[in-house]
Amino acid sequence: MRTDPLRVTGYAMLSALGGSRDEHLRSLIEGRTGLGKPPFELPFATAVGAVTTPLPELPAPLAPWSTRLARMSAQLIAQLDEPLRRARQKWRPERIAVLLGTSTAGADSTERAYRAFIADGRFPDRYDFLRQHTFGAVLHVVAELAGARGPAWMVSTACTSSAKPFASATRLMATGMIDAAIVGGVDTLCQMTLHGFESLQALDRAPCRPFHKDRLGISIGEGGAFALVERTGDARVLVEGVGETSDAYHVSAPHPEGAGALAAMKEALHFAGRAADDVDHVNAHGTGTKLNDSAEAKAIGALFARPIPVVSTKCYTGHTLGAAGALEFAFSACAIEEGWVPPALGADELDPEIRLHVPRDVVRGTYRRVMSNSFAFGGNNVAILVGAP
Amino acid sequence: MTSPRVAVTGLGFWATGFPTVAAWIAGAPDATADKPQGKALDRVNRRRAGPLDRALADVVAEAIAQAGVDPASVPVVVGSSIGEAVTMIGLLDEMWRNHNPMSPADFTMSVHNAASGLISISNKNRGMTTSIAADENTPAAALLEGIGLALTREVPVVVACADEPAPPTLVQHAPPWAMLASAIVLAPQGAARALAHLEVEERGAPTIAPGPFAPLLLQNPQIGLALVVDAIARGAPGVLPLDRGTGRGHVARISVGAP
Repeated sequence: MRTDPLRVTGYAMLSALGGSRDEHLRSLIEGRTGLGKPPFELPFATAVGAVTTPLPELPAPLAPWSTRLARMSAQLIAQLDEPLRRARQKWRPERIAVLLGTSTAGADSTERAYRAFIADGRFPDRYDFLRQHTFGAVLHVVAELAGARGPAWMVSTACTSSAKPFASATRLMATGMIDAAIVGGVDTLCQMTLHGFESLQALDRAPCRPFHKDRLGISIGEGGAFALVERTGDARVLVEGVGETSDAYHVSAPHPEGAGALAAMKEALHFAGRAADDVDHVNAHGTGTKLNDSAEAKAIGALFARPIPVVSTKCYTGHTLGAAGALEFAFSACAIEEGWVPPALGADELDPEIRLHVPRDVVRGTYRRVMSNSFAFGGNNVAILVGAP
Repeated sequence: MTSPRVAVTGLGFWATGFPTVAAWIAGAPDATADKPQGKALDRVNRRRAGPLDRALADVVAEAIAQAGVDPASVPVVVGSSIGEAVTMIGLLDEMWRNHNPMSPADFTMSVHNAASGLISISNKNRGMTTSIAADENTPAAALLEGIGLALTREVPVVVACADEPAPPTLVQHAPPWAMLASAIVLAPQGAARALAHLEVEERGAPTIAPGPFAPLLLQNPQIGLALVVDAIARGAPGVLPLDRGTGRGHVARISVGAP
C-alpha cells in the first residue's frame, strides 16, 4: 500500500537548551551545550542535560496526574497551541491520534515515592502508580490538553521510543484511520537510569564527545519534542519515510558493523522513494560510546558516498533516551528550515577510524533532506527521513 | 472509527495451567504448566528472560507456527500495560533498600522492549519489532498498530499482549490479576489459512459471551486479546470488548469463514 509523506504542520521542543524552538536555535548556532551538573546527588561524577524551563501546572481536573513527565508534556502542548487550534477546526477529535514514546514513563515519580516507602513504610499520599507512573497516564494528559480523541498509545522501545510514533502515524494515516496526530515523546532524568548506565560503565564523567577519538561514553539528558502531523495543510517539513529494523545481535550492544542501522536508513529511503545521494545531512544517534559511534559511523560511511555533515546533537542536550528520536527529528527539521547545521561539540579530534564529515563549525547550505537516526537496547533501530516540503 | 478488516491466521495462548490454545479450549488445566517456559528463546536469552518475556516468546512462537510465517522476518508488535515493572522494583530495592550497585544485566532487562528484543535475537529476526502500551487499552492499540503494519507492508504481522501480576506494593488499591499472554497473526484479506477476519471499532455492544476465564484473568489488562483468541479458537463470530470494562470501550468484530 502506498504511504504518503506526513505533513508536519508544527513542532515543539523542550530540553536542557530551553523551552522553545528559538532557544534551541540560539544555543545550537552559538555552540553552547546544555550539559552540566546533575540536579540531585549521585555517588559518581557525570554531566547531565537537565530541563530548567519553568513547567506549567496541570489544570485542576488533571492534578492527580501531575508529574514532571506530564508537566513537560503540557509545556510541549502549549507550544503547539496555534497549529492544534487550526487542526481541531479541520478534523474531528476522534480523527486526531496521540502517538508518543517514552522510556522512563513515570519512573522519576515512582523512585521518589518508593524511596519514601522504604524509609517510612508508606507511599506519599498523593502518589498513584496508575496515574503517575504508567504509560497511559501521560497519554491521558496529552489527549485531554490537546482535545484529541483518536487512537492513543505509547511506544516504549528504549532509545527509539519517540522515533517510532512517526511510523505508526504514517500507517494509521495510510489506512484511513486518522487525519492528524500528535507524535513525539518525553523522558525525565531519574536516578535509576543514571545508576543503570553507570553499571554498564557507559557514562562519561565530563560532557559527552560523540565521535571523538577519546570519547568515554554518554551524558544523560531529559526533555521531549512533539510534532503535529496532518493529512493536508501547510507543511513546515515532511516525514518522507521511516525505517524500522532489528539487529538480532545483542540486548545492549550494537551490531559491530552497524548492519541494523544501515538497514534502517535504507528502509527509510526505500519508503520515501529516495536515493542516498538525495540526503544532505545526518543527525546521528551518536551517543559518545566507543561501540555505538563506531558501528553507526560504519553504517553511515557504507551508505553515503558524499561527505555530508554528520552531527550528534546529544553533545548539546545529552542523550534524552526515549525522547531522543523526537527531539532529534526536531533538530533535523530545524536544519531544513534554517539552512544550517550546528557544530559538533567535543569532536575536535576525530576518531581516525570514523571517516565522516563531522563539522566543528556551523555549516550553512541548503538542506533538502536529513536522516535522523535512533538506536536502542534490544537492537532496535529507527531512521527517519525528514524532507523539505 | 472502524479499522480496515484483516485476516487472522494464527493464535497463541498462555495462562497458568493452559500453556497453549489447544489446552485452553480443551479446558483441562495442566498442573505442571505453572510457569511459562520460553522454549522459543535460545539458551542464552532464556536465561536472561523473566516470566513475562518467556510467556510472550511462547505465545508468539505458537501463533507463528500455526500461521506458517517466517519467524526471521515477520514484524512483531508486543503490547503490555505495566511491562517490566517487577524488574524495576527489583532495581529500586537494590539501589535504595540494599544499597548494592545496580546489576547491568537487570538494568538492560528493565526496558519495556526487553521481550521483543529477546524474541528478535532468538529468531534472528532483523525486521521490525515494537513494544507499546496504553494501560488497559493496550490490546486495542496493539491491534491497530498490527493492522496498520499488515496493510501498509502487505505482510503477516504478529500481535502479542501480556501482563504479569503488578507488584502489590505499587498497585495497592486495584484488583489483582494473574499472568496472561496471547498472540494473534494478522494478515491482509485474502491470506491463505485464514481462521477468521477481524476489525477494531471504537465502541460497540459485545455479542459474544466470554469464555471460561477466571476472575483473576478477567482483571488482567490484556484480557481483550485473550478474548479474541478464545472466540476465534471456538469459531464464535460476533463482537468482543477489548478492555476489561473501564477502558475506552474499543471492541473487536470477528467473522469466521469466508470474508
